[in-house]
Amino acid sequence: MSNVLAIIMAGGAGTRLSVLSEERSKPAVPFAARYRIIDFTLSNCVNSDIYNIAVLTQYRPRSLNDHIGVGKPWDLDRARGGIRLLQPYQARGREQWYGGTADAVYQNVDDMREQRADHVLILSGDHIYKMDYRPMLKFHQEKNADLTVGVMNVPLAETDRFGIMSVNEDMRIRAFFEKPKKRDKGTLASMGIYIFDAHTLAEQLEAESKNHADLDFGKHVIPGMIETMRVYAYPFEGYWVDVGTIQSYWETNLAFLEPTPPLNLDDPSWVIHTKSSERPPVKVGLQGQLHRSMVANGSNIRGRVEHSMLSPGVYVSEGAVVRDSILMNDVWVGPGAVLDKVIVDKGAVIGAGTQLGFGKDNKANELEPDKINTGITVIGKGAHIPANISIGRNVVIVPRADEEAFKPFGDIVPSGATVGVRK
Amino acid sequence: MNILAMILAGGEGRGLGVLTSHRAEAAVPFGGKYRLIDFTLSNCVNSGIYNVGVLTQYQPRSLNDHIAIGKPWDLDRARGGVRLLQPFQRARGQGGTWQEGTADAVRFNFDFIAENNADHVLILAGDHIYKMDYNALLRVHTETDADVTIGVRSVSPFDTHRFGMVTLDSDGSVTQFEEKPKRTRSTTASMGIYAFKRSFLQQWLSGEGLTHHDFGRDVLPALIKNARVFGFNYQGYWADVGTIQAYFEANMALLGETPALDLYDPDWVIHTRSEERPAVYVGANARVDGNLLCDGCRIDGTVTRSVIGPGVYIAPGAVVRDSILMKDTYVGAGALVDRVITDKRVVIGAGAQSGVDGDNTPNQLSPTRLNTGITVIGKRTQIPEKITLGRNVEIFPNLPASVFPKEGVKSGETVTG
Repeated sequence: MSNVLAIIMAGGAGTRLSVLSEERSKPAVPFAARYRIIDFTLSNCVNSDIYNIAVLTQYRPRSLNDHIGVGKPWDLDRARGGIRLLQPYQARGREQWYGGTADAVYQNVDDMREQRADHVLILSGDHIYKMDYRPMLKFHQEKNADLTVGVMNVPLAETDRFGIMSVNEDMRIRAFFEKPKKRDKGTLASMGIYIFDAHTLAEQLEAESKNHADLDFGKHVIPGMIETMRVYAYPFEGYWVDVGTIQSYWETNLAFLEPTPPLNLDDPSWVIHTKSSERPPVKVGLQGQLHRSMVANGSNIRGRVEHSMLSPGVYVSEGAVVRDSILMNDVWVGPGAVLDKVIVDKGAVIGAGTQLGFGKDNKANELEPDKINTGITVIGKGAHIPANISIGRNVVIVPRADEEAFKPFGDIVPSGATVGVRK
Repeated sequence: MNILAMILAGGEGRGLGVLTSHRAEAAVPFGGKYRLIDFTLSNCVNSGIYNVGVLTQYQPRSLNDHIAIGKPWDLDRARGGVRLLQPFQRARGQGGTWQEGTADAVRFNFDFIAENNADHVLILAGDHIYKMDYNALLRVHTETDADVTIGVRSVSPFDTHRFGMVTLDSDGSVTQFEEKPKRTRSTTASMGIYAFKRSFLQQWLSGEGLTHHDFGRDVLPALIKNARVFGFNYQGYWADVGTIQAYFEANMALLGETPALDLYDPDWVIHTRSEERPAVYVGANARVDGNLLCDGCRIDGTVTRSVIGPGVYIAPGAVVRDSILMKDTYVGAGALVDRVITDKRVVIGAGAQSGVDGDNTPNQLSPTRLNTGITVIGKRTQIPEKITLGRNVEIFPNLPASVFPKEGVKSGETVTG
């Protein structure tokens, strides 16, 4: 195989994930009990024998930096290649943040040169999928392409979220439309996965950056290459999802509780590696009940858990009920508390006897009506929910909200409310 | 103060039967995701001791695999770290035999000890379950200027025949040491943990004690008279799981409401090489009250009061109770598993019934070892569908389903294939 450098775009704010991405970038959002979203892309790389990876960060990188560290879980702590976390930086005459995806790569073109890569594989850290990149690299070389775009068919109703393209019978791309409003461009969508010849990429970025400060692959680079260069589409068939919204985050997580999950997470030939904290086994008490759920090591279950996803170190007390919910690391659920369709971020504490996701009122969240409107209540990281109160649906509780923040509401937080000050 | 820990992990652990037929006792899985040696290794690093030698002899492959370069314990270090010490061929004229006891094993590795230039050598067993800060023992050791300090604890008068029993003077010095006595007044037992002054250890074992081979059997009894030997009284939980019954009990003790051994203490984490597996999956019709479940297991049947290792699958309609199932055990639909220990990758065929009747005949080949109703199944063995297995049965590893008799296996039998 030629010398391949993978560049993972991990700087996105993921604003549609509300408080889940308030203090962390979207690739660092926990997923399927034990993982972070970026684990899927990182594991795809190493499972495809790509051990030279740059991760581009921008929005709130602490959590991501912590998670990746020196790359041990992925065997990416290496003397040559390995993983590098690349931060935005100041340079003489230029002190702005990344303007777009391609601008981020352009600003790190030094790394690409330093690594002497022949091919550059550009990936997004936001997607849940298992993909072997080697056949795509082979395709790229066989077509003698300058650029190959990973594509898949998406539902017609969603084409306005993607770069849509039309191809000829040889899979050469003839036209590319970034997020077209009209639904007449077909359903072949870009997955945000690109293979460039390193030399071509550097040239293109150099040329295009003069015209666009917000240089973007979908908007500028790809459309600019279609006419004059060999740009091909590589079709991917399989499960691929961009967990962009609270609703899709919830659905995608809980899909892993079905008898046949969308991805096999326990495939010894394609392990999804992650940074595991060292935890003892799950302990289920004598009164503990678990049904249709996934529970990670270090959890302690003394209450009832149904159709839920529990990360490491969750404690569910006696008499508590957790239903249709996602609980991240070290959440503590007090005795007799009831959770229904709730996403609880790390380290939150749910007071005894409190009801979360209560009642039939499905009023959308007042501050984020377009994002939180399907009945899911979201609790920010480290929030402390007082005992014996009732909290409705589509409620958002900001990270680290304390009991003080609940005072204005009394015993009932109605559906659609936001507790604490949203940043 | 420069401390070197030497962990004795070469023992066969005969008392554990088929569980140690292909691995050293220190490498036997425990509590679902751990190995016995994890407790001692974690105690070392949690006590700030990052210079560790592990002495191997009996079936070391599993242990080597588990420890490797010591990553899980942060023992992969440029200076110090963990070193696996194998038996080796010595130069001509120095003899070429295997290590003949714990002290002999240490003597074998004198050049390693010399190389490490430690002030004190902490000698530990690799097969004990406990959480202990060795600094307290080392403090007593240095404050009393002892040549040797022995970790000791109280045991029941009925258990004295299993231990080295010591008698302490009021100043903490050891006045008597009896190895596994038939009868004794003492109820203070040696834990098999010793801190030695390095210079003293080397001088004595290569001089006066040259013909002594085992710390418990002959070294310590001889030292009581000739050296400053002190005892350090340890109060916490400690278990020697050298028998099937002790091993079973120590595992089951973890299931209690507030177990004596707290695995959930963030200030004293028991580190281990964790499997990279998804979270525990529990199906819609499963029942799982009162268990330890490890990542990667999948439960569709009923499990009560059991320790379930990573990757175990329990099919719908199967019932598992009071059992220990190690990694990747497969329990087929409708099977009954009662008071069974399965080693890794055992397959229990659909409808097989184990431990159904009340017949508690002790194992005929080792009646003293297997007599409490526990059936033990060796690694990778396949139990045929619908067969019945009695209690106190021992089944050898790697057996195909075809070797089992149609009429089943009665209590007390051994299946060797």
